[in-house]
Amino acid sequence: MISTGNDIVALSAINAARTNQHKFYSKILSDSETPLYNELSLAGIPFENFVWLLWSIKESAYKFLQRHNAGLVFTPVKFVVEELRLPSAYIIENFDAIAEEGIGFNGYPALNGIVTFGEVKLHSCSLLYDKLISTVVNDIDNLENTCWGIKLISDTTHENQSTEVRQFLIERLKRLYGHDDFRVDKNENGCPILFEGNEETPIPISLSHHENIIGYSFRG
Amino acid sequence: MTRTEILDELKKVIAPYTTNKEMLASINEQTDLIKDLKINSANLVDIIIDAEAKYDIEIDYDSADKMVNVGTCIDVISEKLNQKA
Repeated sequence: MISTGNDIVALSAINAARTNQHKFYSKILSDSETPLYNELSLAGIPFENFVWLLWSIKESAYKFLQRHNAGLVFTPVKFVVEELRLPSAYIIENFDAIAEEGIGFNGYPALNGIVTFGEVKLHSCSLLYDKLISTVVNDIDNLENTCWGIKLISDTTHENQSTEVRQFLIERLKRLYGHDDFRVDKNENGCPILFEGNEETPIPISLSHHENIIGYSFRG
Repeated sequence: MTRTEILDELKKVIAPYTTNKEMLASINEQTDLIKDLKINSANLVDIIIDAEAKYDIEIDYDSADKMVNVGTCIDVISEKLNQKA
C-alpha cells in the first residue's frame, strides 16, 4: 500500500494534569498499551508525554490508512501500539533547531514501534524532544524511503499553520526533484494530494500542525 | 433538553478549542468540528470529556466516533441523556 502518515504534538500545548487522569487517557490508550510505559518511565519520559506519543503514532497510522479508506473513522483505542523500542542509552534531547529534515531516521534517536488496526500492521518512527513529538508511519519496517520535516513557526493561526506547512513541504520537493511547480490540494476525503502543474503526482504526502510546530512526510 | 438547549450548551464546551469564533457564533447542525471550526484533532478528546462532565453522561468509543459535526454531537448527547432519564 503506497501511503504515508505523520503527526506532530506540541508538548507546550498539552494539558499534563488532564492527560494524567484515567478518564482522559483511557480514551486514547487501550489496556494492553499501558505496560509499554514501564521502559519509557525508566528513561525519564513523563506519563503525559507517553500518552501523546501513542496518540501521535495512532493518528499517523490513521492518516496512512485513511488515504485508501475514505470512510475510516479515527478511534484511538482501536489503533493498538503493540511494540515501542527505545534507542540504547536514550536521553530526551532539546530541539534547538528551527527546522529539521531527513530521509529515514538513521542517526536520529528514534523510537520504533509497531501499531495495528485490526489485521493491518504498520511500523512507526517517532522523535521525542523536549518540546515536541513527531511520528511517521510506514507499512514496512524501513522508513528509508520516507522524507520528513519538522519546523517551528511563530504565527500559530490555523491559516498560517496551513500555509507554512505547505510551503515547507514544497521547498523540500523543489530541492529534491528540481521542479518548481508543485502545489498541494486536498481530495474530497480531506487527504492532502500533490500536484505538479495540473497533474496529480503519485507521491503520497501527509501534513500536520499543532500550535507552533509543523511537519510533513512523503514517500520519496 | 431540546436540541436547541443542547446546542447552546455545546457552544460553551467547544469555545475553548476553536479560534474560529466567527464560525462558532453561527454554527448549525452541519458545522464540522475539524473542517469548519478548525479544532485540532488532539482536542477532540477534551471536547468529549467536557461534554461528559457538562451533561453527566458517559460517551463510549462507538458514540464518540459519530461526533464529527455539531448535529451528530447533539444526537449523541441527546441519546445519552435519554438513556439516563
